[in-house]
Amino acid sequence: MEQPVQTETWKARSLEELVRILHQIFAEDKVSVDEVHALMESYESNPEEWLQYAKFDQYRYTRNLVDSGNGKFNLMILCWGEGHGSSIHDHTDSHCFMKILQGNLKETLFEWPEKKGNGEMTKKSERVLRENQCAYINDSIGLHRVENISHTEPAVSLHLYSPPFDTCNTFDQRTGHKHKVTMTFYSQFGERTVC
Amino acid sequence: LPAGLSQWFPALEVLDVSGTGLTEMGTELLALPCLHTLLAKNNRLGGPGSLPKGLEQAPLARSLRVLNLSGNRFSELPPALLQLRGLRSLSLGGNRLHGIPPDIQELHSLEFLYLGGNFITAIPPELAKLPSLRYLVLCDNKIQSIPPQLAQLHSLRSLSLHNNLLTYLPREILNLVHLEELSLRGNPLVVRFVRDLTYNPPSLQELAGRTVKTRNVPYAPSDLPDSLVRYLSLASNCPNPKCGGVYFDSCVRQIKFVDFCGKYRLPLMHYLCSPECSSPFSSASQSSTSQSSTSQSESDSEDEASVAAHRMQKVLLG
Repeated sequence: MEQPVQTETWKARSLEELVRILHQIFAEDKVSVDEVHALMESYESNPEEWLQYAKFDQYRYTRNLVDSGNGKFNLMILCWGEGHGSSIHDHTDSHCFMKILQGNLKETLFEWPEKKGNGEMTKKSERVLRENQCAYINDSIGLHRVENISHTEPAVSLHLYSPPFDTCNTFDQRTGHKHKVTMTFYSQFGERTVC
Repeated sequence: LPAGLSQWFPALEVLDVSGTGLTEMGTELLALPCLHTLLAKNNRLGGPGSLPKGLEQAPLARSLRVLNLSGNRFSELPPALLQLRGLRSLSLGGNRLHGIPPDIQELHSLEFLYLGGNFITAIPPELAKLPSLRYLVLCDNKIQSIPPQLAQLHSLRSLSLHNNLLTYLPREILNLVHLEELSLRGNPLVVRFVRDLTYNPPSLQELAGRTVKTRNVPYAPSDLPDSLVRYLSLASNCPNPKCGGVYFDSCVRQIKFVDFCGKYRLPLMHYLCSPECSSPFSSASQSSTSQSSTSQSESDSEDEASVAAHRMQKVLLG
């Protein structure tokens, strides 16, 4: 993605409109990270529009595909029960946008571990993202862990990944060792995926 | 709760009174025979009267399946709660609990127990007597150790222990065959090989007890005082497969590391009958000299560990 000369200021008034505008943006050869970021943030979360994708699992967070972006991006909704969190992971050279639709998520950024490192990974920063806020990360920025630290409220987030990817590395915080994992969808387009 | 609730809505199945500032829930609840889900999170419950008196006799004690009391002010699990014998799911996340009562075992239908975000310092072994428990959340507490009995939770699928004060885990944790999720991040887990070399030599009673057990010396309850019969029944087997010995009180604590799924080395605590015995995780055989293998490599991935790793296939470690 590069910064074109002119960036539009979009306002997505519904989830459907957000998807439509994303298709429009990604149909171009060049896409602006700032433009997509602003678009994602402009959508005001309306549970009626995304409830059909928000399927929770008792034991861990779920990934629910909303739109496969003609192969250019994946838009998905993640559902985090109380206390659910991810491991520290990278983003396989893709861009990752994460918008909070409900509740709060804590994002902890980490430095990439040293090649020969065998010690505790270095925390760069952490923040709690509020409803409708949108975060952005890619591998050059670093790695992160995302977790719902609430013991009383579930959280829902909207993620856009471009290009789409289904494998990434998870990292052991104590040693920096990485492990490749394949990610799966709990549901696709509102239908539960049977593993 | 409004009086007359059960008269207006006798068939009520789900009641959500979350975020209403409730300080107590009274007898209005007791006459709701169909109520299976009660959500009362983010209130001001915790004092006396939080749960109604007379719960034991009420139909609610058998009908209630789901109870969510997260985000309240409970400093202890209300004893009345233990009357809810049909309870499948209980959440007391984000309260002020300092412990878990051993009587929790009375909630024998419990499948889901969320106790994250409290001030719990220890786990009673009686928690392991919940045969249907599948999901146990103990994250964000002050827990220093896990009782080995917890490995008896055969149905356990997910165990959340992150952000506690654990330095090691009991080796019995490898017995949790169905465990798919295990979170351990944010614990001060020991990272280097640790060996507790302090070893209190066994008492004469222990030495005699060991001999009785290992030599299969026959005895009947009439031969010995009750206290000694009880003592002999408490023998633990040394985990060293080449040893076959037993110990009572005198044992060596040792922390060894086990590779989990090739990606995470967990410190597991186990007990050996003497410093001469070696761990089941090492290939070093029993020797008469105390040539404790200080040169032993830290990455023990021996038979037992790899079998365990194979069992816990999708363990997700932080």
